[in-house]
Amino acid sequence: MSWSNVPTTDAALEGDAIRHTGVLVVIPAYDERECIADVVGEVGSAGFHCLVVDDGSRDGTADIAAACGAAVVRLPINLGVGGALRTGFRYAVDHGYTTVVQVDADGQHVAEHIRHLVAALDDQSLDMVVGSRFADDGTYPMTYVRRLCVRVLSFVIRRSGKVGITDPTSGFRAIRSPLLGAFAADFPAHYLGDTFEAVLVAARRGYRLGEVPVEMRERQGGRPSADLYALVQAMLRACTVLLTGTTFDLPARDNDRSRP
Amino acid sequence: MSTTAKQALVLLLGGIVIGGFILRLARKRLLSTRYAIGWLVIGGLVAIAAILMPFVGRLGRLANMTPTAVLLTMSSVLLLAISVQLSISVSLLQERLRTTAEAHALLARRLDELEQRADH
Repeated sequence: MSWSNVPTTDAALEGDAIRHTGVLVVIPAYDERECIADVVGEVGSAGFHCLVVDDGSRDGTADIAAACGAAVVRLPINLGVGGALRTGFRYAVDHGYTTVVQVDADGQHVAEHIRHLVAALDDQSLDMVVGSRFADDGTYPMTYVRRLCVRVLSFVIRRSGKVGITDPTSGFRAIRSPLLGAFAADFPAHYLGDTFEAVLVAARRGYRLGEVPVEMRERQGGRPSADLYALVQAMLRACTVLLTGTTFDLPARDNDRSRP
Repeated sequence: MSTTAKQALVLLLGGIVIGGFILRLARKRLLSTRYAIGWLVIGGLVAIAAILMPFVGRLGRLANMTPTAVLLTMSSVLLLAISVQLSISVSLLQERLRTTAEAHALLARRLDELEQRADH
């Protein structure tokens, strides 16, 4: 796919401010007190509404986020990223938002890129846009094993979903209705279900996916949520999805009204 | 006393112990009635297996197995079935817990919004 029609200069995007009214930035957060204030502030100054879904944190993340002016939904127990995201999707649908941009709470995503993801949704009439670390120049630092795993997952999506997503485990994504509504109804909660599996199933069910190159920072604090053990789990998941099919219900996209 | 009779006696005692233990757990409300009944049925099955030891012996001869092997095989299959059933229950409960937690969080947020609006 090509990104040639993605506006990248700020001037080209200035006129899009009105589009941002229907956009909600959802930040799933679990024990991220060191970073959450910066992330909320950054998203706010980029001009987006911001919802922090506190995933049962015990370090006061929710209070910090609320003090920074974010809307906060507090899950009473830790559900994992998938559960936190589905809560965010439901909140977005309930409050009339048509687009959700998912941003990690650890500060590795650059809020300036949110508008690029949203612009790609509109300009290429896509249902989901993934912010990719590799689509650009591949300089993002990553261990060899992790990079290999990501390549395999990407290969699976290309073969099975017929779409090129170079960074399927990226947690930086924009999702628009009708896919948003479908994800609000059912979304996988297990590890990597929220990233890899959601991308794969959406592609298979006829939703239009794309990716946009983004720069990512090193984690600003907290601990990495995905270690080697987790990646092994991810590979197992990829195998089970291919063997047993999907683990959540996603209605096929209604292609009659797909092209505006 | 023959080996089979000894085995039957042990099984019978085992069944009674299981039954007593389950009843005690149920009375302390550590076990819900549904599972208590399930385990009592299993205790009953063990007791019945004890009574049917001669029959199990004949069954074993048909399959060229000792009565002990027949009983062990049967109990392994039973335990496997129970574990799978419990795993299914736990998965279902996790899904329900997740849905409930999400609804709880969204409702709490909604309440906050409404309270803030009422204050102004």
